[in-house]
Amino acid sequence: MEDRAGSPELFMFLASTVHDMKNSISVLTGTLENLLVQAGDSAQDNPAYPQMAQMLYQTKRLNDHLIQLLALYKEVGRPDYPFDPTPVQVSELVDQLAAQQRVLLQSKGIRLTTEFPPDLIWTLDEDLVLGLLAHAINNAVRYTRDQIALTIREQDGFMEVRVEDNGAGFPPAMLQAGQVVGQGINFLTNSSGLGLYFASEVAKSHKHRQRQGSIALENGGTLGGGCFILRLP
Amino acid sequence: MNAPPATTPVAPAPDKASGINWAEKRYLIVDDFVGVRQLLREALRSLGARHIDQASSGGEAIGLLARIQYDVILCDFNLGEGKSGQHVLEEARIRGLLMPSCVWLMVSAEKSVEAVMGAAEHQPDAYIIKPITEGVLLTRLNRAWQKKQIFQEIDQAYLEKDYLRAAKLCEAAAARNKLHEVDLLRMRATLLLKAGEPEQARAVYEKVLQERDFNWARTGVGKIRMANGDHEAARQMFQGVIAENRFYLDAYDQLAKSLQNMGRLQESCDVLERAAKLSPNSVPRQRALGVTALKLGNIALAEKAFRKCLQIGEYSIMKTVDAYFGLARVLGQKNDPKEALLLLAAAQRDFSGRMIELRSKITEGLVYHESGDYRRARKSGDELEEMLSGERERPDTPTCLEMATLLFAVGVKDAPVELLCYVVRNNDDNIVLHDEVQRIFDKARMGDEGAALIQSARKEASEMMNKGVLLWKTNKLPEAVAWMREARKSLPDNMRILFNSAQILISHMQAKGYDEALMTEANDVLMHVDRIAPGQQRFAQLIEQLQKLIPGRMSAEEIEAELSAALKVDHDEE
Repeated sequence: MEDRAGSPELFMFLASTVHDMKNSISVLTGTLENLLVQAGDSAQDNPAYPQMAQMLYQTKRLNDHLIQLLALYKEVGRPDYPFDPTPVQVSELVDQLAAQQRVLLQSKGIRLTTEFPPDLIWTLDEDLVLGLLAHAINNAVRYTRDQIALTIREQDGFMEVRVEDNGAGFPPAMLQAGQVVGQGINFLTNSSGLGLYFASEVAKSHKHRQRQGSIALENGGTLGGGCFILRLP
Repeated sequence: MNAPPATTPVAPAPDKASGINWAEKRYLIVDDFVGVRQLLREALRSLGARHIDQASSGGEAIGLLARIQYDVILCDFNLGEGKSGQHVLEEARIRGLLMPSCVWLMVSAEKSVEAVMGAAEHQPDAYIIKPITEGVLLTRLNRAWQKKQIFQEIDQAYLEKDYLRAAKLCEAAAARNKLHEVDLLRMRATLLLKAGEPEQARAVYEKVLQERDFNWARTGVGKIRMANGDHEAARQMFQGVIAENRFYLDAYDQLAKSLQNMGRLQESCDVLERAAKLSPNSVPRQRALGVTALKLGNIALAEKAFRKCLQIGEYSIMKTVDAYFGLARVLGQKNDPKEALLLLAAAQRDFSGRMIELRSKITEGLVYHESGDYRRARKSGDELEEMLSGERERPDTPTCLEMATLLFAVGVKDAPVELLCYVVRNNDDNIVLHDEVQRIFDKARMGDEGAALIQSARKEASEMMNKGVLLWKTNKLPEAVAWMREARKSLPDNMRILFNSAQILISHMQAKGYDEALMTEANDVLMHVDRIAPGQQRFAQLIEQLQKLIPGRMSAEEIEAELSAALKVDHDEE
């Protein structure tokens, strides 16, 4: 039970830097979203519009990476992450995700469809899972043609979440990273592995009755493109 | 069962027919960063909000909260220098600045240990992690609001100390609200504990644990074990929770308590030190660490803890005078009496009351003594003896022990012996405390004499009580009431005497009819119990029995049944 806290001063420094950066990113994301909404659909032909949409996409990626880095630092520098599972109405999880991504998806001309059991309640760490799925959708934005499907169902005591797109599918390197994630492979050697590693750690921290969560990547699915799958006990 | 695939509407944030008009509410945004304030204001405006105030610091927020009643508060956890978001929340709650219906959303950049695992007494209604988006904000607002509605009646019963009714309300609400079922069950268990029904509370925790392995439920079972005196079993349970989740701070605090109860001070201190490392900003935890380290003679650790305690306390309504006294002792032991005396002056300036004066004087004497100024220490001791002789009432147990330690050290003998015997009589079944008293006697080179004194003090207390119980069982009720009244005068804080006093007063009324004066007396006794040791098993039962005695509440047959049950219960116990 001994502590291996490393350097608390460094951690405090990192935490407060992250706090600052997050404020900046919040403002950046918010401003971009407001600008895009104010410009309205009629502005879509303006050459600045897709550039702004791209800026919003990159800002969201920046935020995702920040969350992951912080969580990873905690993984490495501290024994684990404050994990806080609570019962969550699945429909609310979907509402929050859809609202978070609304402006980005609209500005990129991507249609999001959702399907879920309306009364399902699942016990999970809401903020961690929201972060993970937001990242998966951001990732799908990169690979899709014009459609993303978010599907949730209950199966064999697991909640299964699928994020599918109608693009050309994940590249082989990514699929391979998906297969080996969580098997002790050094994720730092593979840039797409970082997000997957984070997602896998979040999934695995959900445990119930000797079972734990997992993630998987596939090509195909109902839309024929890439497919990210999260399963939580 | 599945909803048909739906295209998410690309319209302003979807308000799910929640029936809440967020436009008409009054909002306060607290954040030190102007950009974030603007962003939050925009998000609220998109919900239709018109009345939005802003504060850039905790102090400014408190100023506004004191003048204006807000419906919703969005407060950043990390406000830079000065008060933190948690400080603002605690102060607002303790000063009663918030309406019961007010929703408090705490905003933070990351999931902090304090935020999630806070054993903090005052929790916000929800946490939101940055960056905040309208959708998340609206969902969390709606959820917090609905939860408030569900808990409204329960909170009211809680405020009235009607724990059993509140627990029943929880049970009924849990059956109706699947989403909040776990929260309601958790509340129900807490209420049952407060109502002195640990077995029922344990059943609730165990029911929850069958569904999911929640840390709070496992810790709850441990607390019940501890309350039942099974400290070793409790220790193992808390240890188990920590092994699985190193951030669950409540388990550390409870583990430290269980070790303390077994007299394992060094281990208790180690646990508190680890918890303080994980979450340094809790006044009660730093105080507990300082006090324990000081007892162990670990001056460096005690100093660090007390200094941190003062530092956090500067902005917190939870600030404690214990940190001043503790740090003064530390400084005395480091041979810096000057600084120590300055601190005692500060304590008397920042806090007031007779108890503060008494404790300042004790600490002053200890500081002089420990820094080798025996002449001044003796003078403080004499002054203290004088303060005591003019007063029939005695302070609480830890203060009595400190005082006895000082008086022995400066060469006074009778007064400390009297104090220690008083402490033992008031706690005649607390073995760990007897050991502590014995150590004080040993240090004063009165080991054998002390052991005999402890023995006779314990005997004195139990004889006093046995006589009262005998009078009661032989149905000499007026004599029993009178005897217990005297017993309480000489042993005002003895838990068994207090409970039996209330029980005998109730029996008297059950047998001989309602009596306003006896009713008030019984009520006063129980309120005293609740002050010195809240959450006792017998407290809620006796309160309930007392309530039923109020004319018109119960039939004669019911009274008869209660009376024979009470006599039978006591027979089993004694």
